[in-house]
Amino acid sequence: MKTNTWGVGLVWVAALALAWEWGAHILAVDLHDPMAASKLPYLHSVVSTLITNAGPLADAAGVTFAQAATGFVLGALIGYVLAVLMSVSRTVERIAFPYLIISQMIPVLGLAPIIFNLVRDMNASRILIAAYITFFPVAANTLSGFRSVDREKRQLLDSYAAGLPTVYFKLMIPFSVPHLFAGLKIAAPLSVTASILVDMLGSKDGIGVKLLYALYGGNMDIFWASVVTSALMGMVSYLVVLLAEKIVVPWEDLGNLGGAR
Amino acid sequence: MSIIDVEAVPGPVPTTYAIDPNQDFASVIRVKGVNMVYTGRDGRETHALREVNLDIRQGEFISLLGPSGCGKTTLLRIIANLLEPTAGDVSIFGSTPRQARLGRKFGIVFQSPVLYEWRTVRNNIRLPLEIMKVPKAEQNERIDQQLELVGLTKFAHSYPSQLSGGMQQRVGIARALAMKPELLLMDEPFSASDEFTREKLNEDLLRIWKINQKTVIFVTHNISEAVYLSDRVVVMSPHPGRVSSVIEVDLPRPRSQESPEFFSLYTKIRHGFEGVYHQA
Repeated sequence: MKTNTWGVGLVWVAALALAWEWGAHILAVDLHDPMAASKLPYLHSVVSTLITNAGPLADAAGVTFAQAATGFVLGALIGYVLAVLMSVSRTVERIAFPYLIISQMIPVLGLAPIIFNLVRDMNASRILIAAYITFFPVAANTLSGFRSVDREKRQLLDSYAAGLPTVYFKLMIPFSVPHLFAGLKIAAPLSVTASILVDMLGSKDGIGVKLLYALYGGNMDIFWASVVTSALMGMVSYLVVLLAEKIVVPWEDLGNLGGAR
Repeated sequence: MSIIDVEAVPGPVPTTYAIDPNQDFASVIRVKGVNMVYTGRDGRETHALREVNLDIRQGEFISLLGPSGCGKTTLLRIIANLLEPTAGDVSIFGSTPRQARLGRKFGIVFQSPVLYEWRTVRNNIRLPLEIMKVPKAEQNERIDQQLELVGLTKFAHSYPSQLSGGMQQRVGIARALAMKPELLLMDEPFSASDEFTREKLNEDLLRIWKINQKTVIFVTHNISEAVYLSDRVVVMSPHPGRVSSVIEVDLPRPRSQESPEFFSLYTKIRHGFEGVYHQA
């Protein structure tokens, strides 16, 4: 199974690379498009730019990624605590939930400059926006996890005369971990995107700055190399969460040797 | 209250437990005038249980038998303090169901195994012991003992998803027994199992019961299962849920489902139900 998965992945990447090269070739050679280099440059030239500029790109990516990660962790913590509070008390849920929904209606594009004007610090803004993007999917998914705990699992603890803290530590929290990860997996690439967006508001460093300068400067190779770097950052963030899930949730994915549910 | 634990059993265990109906047994569980009425959204009342009276003796294996809607599970849940009756009294070892629950006097086995997927078999059995703050060494001792009893020692470190349905149900039973409760409440524990698994689980349950001598209240809708297992079968009927008869099963164990005595008891109970269905 393992080799098969790798094989499929390899074919997938190879096919994508080929399609890219072919598309770039059609644009440049067959259609004689003068803007071919900005519409779709050859993959091999993007890769070579990526390699020759690996140092500065990695530095820029590192700055953005570190802020995104900090904001992600902060947002996840806030989202989790909110979910716990809302699951403990219906009243808290009724008060908080409309605010949560409204918060998701404010576009980040509009919110980011406001936050930046308030805190006047690029790093703090990046962290806050990444946290803002993260907390909602985490809170919503975790809360739905708490809500979907089987009634009988709860009654079992009632029959042991377990108190509320015990119910949370023995049942609600472990039960909702897969739900928490569902939220984290949605939030991780979003927090990276948000952090890149904040870069563009006038930061001195970060991958978003590279993107913007390359675009304005007409340096299409650097622009495309930055786009690929950004995409890689999003993927890495997702894979990190996926890896953490495999470690924290060993009971899922074991396969069923037959039997009930 | 003499609850015999596994380690306390001296020598071979006798195989017959027929209870002499003339002997005056003190009842350890008493259900008096219990009524359960649900009021629907339209204000219509449903009588889930009407005037249920029941005395259960020390160490007795008793079945609550009936078709769905007869209130057998409701009655079990009232005894387990998972439901409050609309009227009536339940006394368990002289205390209320709530006191009995807070005192961890009973273990409960549900229709589905209700295992915690994130815990291994061992740690599922450990769950009630952690909450009861049993010392770690004793936890392990009790777990080993229960695993042995239900024949799952080899699967101690497996996760529930790696076990078959029958094995999962055994873990549920081991978890209840590890509490060393004075009373075992079982809510259709084998109804999801196929016929062969069910027979095996029935045999195992009787073997375990003989060793532990707990009082067992066993809910089922399967007539032969009730006759096979029980000292007494409480036959219940629906609309409204009530006790229609209590049948002593004074056949020696192990019981054969093919014996004429077994068949005649089975038929007697079955005919009782036909009346119920004709009414409905």
